Amino acid sequence: MIRRIYLTSKLNDAVIDYFSLSRFQLHHGKARCSKSTSCCCFFSVMEERSSIVKTPLNNVLTQRRSKSYRRSMRSCVEATNLGYTSGHLTALRIPRSRRTPKSRDITKQVDPDQVALLVTKEWELSYVTPLYQFRHTQLKSYSKHLSAFIVSEKQQGLAIEVGQELGFKVNFSVVLGLAETDEDAETVFIQILSKHAFAAKDDAQKVVWSGWLTCVNGDLEYLRSLPSEFVSLPLLCTRGPESLTVLVKSWFEKTFDCCFGPLGINSTNLQWLAALWIGCHPTINIQYLKLVWTLPTLPPMDVKYTIHPQDAWELWDSVRQDDTTDVSIEEVTRFIKGLQSHFFRHFRIELSAGSLMQVSTALGSSHHSGKIKIASPTYITTILQLLTECALLKMPI
Amino acid sequence: MCFLVQLVKNEEQFQQKLADTVLQEKNVNVRLARSLPLPMENDESRPRIDLVVFIIHLTSELSFQSAETSLKYLDPGYFQGKVCFLVTNARNVSVPPERLVSVRKLAASLHCPLLCTEDQTTEGVTTAAHRLLAILKVAAGLVPMATGLYSDIDQQKFE
Repeated sequence: MIRRIYLTSKLNDAVIDYFSLSRFQLHHGKARCSKSTSCCCFFSVMEERSSIVKTPLNNVLTQRRSKSYRRSMRSCVEATNLGYTSGHLTALRIPRSRRTPKSRDITKQVDPDQVALLVTKEWELSYVTPLYQFRHTQLKSYSKHLSAFIVSEKQQGLAIEVGQELGFKVNFSVVLGLAETDEDAETVFIQILSKHAFAAKDDAQKVVWSGWLTCVNGDLEYLRSLPSEFVSLPLLCTRGPESLTVLVKSWFEKTFDCCFGPLGINSTNLQWLAALWIGCHPTINIQYLKLVWTLPTLPPMDVKYTIHPQDAWELWDSVRQDDTTDVSIEEVTRFIKGLQSHFFRHFRIELSAGSLMQVSTALGSSHHSGKIKIASPTYITTILQLLTECALLKMPI
Repeated sequence: MCFLVQLVKNEEQFQQKLADTVLQEKNVNVRLARSLPLPMENDESRPRIDLVVFIIHLTSELSFQSAETSLKYLDPGYFQGKVCFLVTNARNVSVPPERLVSVRKLAASLHCPLLCTEDQTTEGVTTAAHRLLAILKVAAGLVPMATGLYSDIDQQKFE
């Protein structure tokens, strides 16, 4: 190997090549050198430094606190390659395997009426940075403040609909029981009620906007590292007119000094959700598994791929090697690759050249742009745990 | 000097634009390919290849996979400074972060430089072409006191 490089490079480079190869040998121990040089001259062109340094023959082991700390530090360094900033000392990991979800009757822990508020509706997701001095005990005063804020903001707008604004009423409530660990804050549910523009005086107010902030099984190291005045509820789900969403977010930003941002569900997480729903098939009939891909052709082509649940279940079962409690990302990828290769065999279209946009079953549907619908409350905690993790990873802090 | 570009189907616009920009420099030959190995017919007339660039579009999984399979057809002598990875759409929200991590691990394990580029604007393509030309000059041996073996100086160590 050495001889080949020596001959093919130009004459003025030949000497440098030999030195660089010897550096290679001392650092990495991979290139075999017929003559071993004991001293090494650094001709480091980029750093403009020439010094005689005796490089160590082995990698120097650094002190580490614990294996998991190091792994998590490395994963956050891998993720940024920008060195350490104060935010990235909160190490976040991208998990490679998850526990199989067990179907659980959530109504034992949570009030069924409140569960009914959360399911069968399509929510739009955002991430929230930690809230400063948010108290679960002061929800009534928050309701009053927010309704006053909405009314005052609406009156500044150009098109004033008198009947509607004055009837704004905001409800903050707590949904107890969704939090999994001690570090999770309790879910807060917000409803904005108002009367329809042409409603009569006695008509009840209807819900025009609803949203909820939640944290389910958030990363424990991160939650413990937050200062005590901060409450972390990283996932916000909203439903309703965009104007009201913007108002609610700006009120939160002013009151609790937090930031909001859109949360998309990338293709890996969509695949996790598909695997989760398929895994539920023996207990609950999912009726269909529909996957939607977008291919970057001109014009862009959407492929809707609907699979019979029994076939999908058989494929998933064959991919799942043993009945362990963990599902790994390799099994999920293999499942999706099986579906893609089947499609390719029939239609000669390679789906992996495009991106996965939507996954839906009878149990729920999730879209790449950050919309999720949970149709059945059985696996709600697993889905919320996945989404909380997405929100924590997406957050800039 | 010669320089081979490598890609997956349907994404030829970036490859073409990049090739056109690079060709504005004198004495550079660019050959484009969709995958390796290169066809046997032109083997005699092909000039010496100084740099092999793999273009990976992070938005599609297929791009990464075809780059990985093509790597096996490359002579090991090329991996000492004559291979470069070019990645587009690294900042895209829809790209799962694991894909970029695996591309970086691949580049680090092969000790090859990894460039991130932006392919939608002309400035992005021009910047990418300039950086590739800089690496090409080193790989072809035209820069004194530098060889392609230094290309992994700023790569992180992936254990």
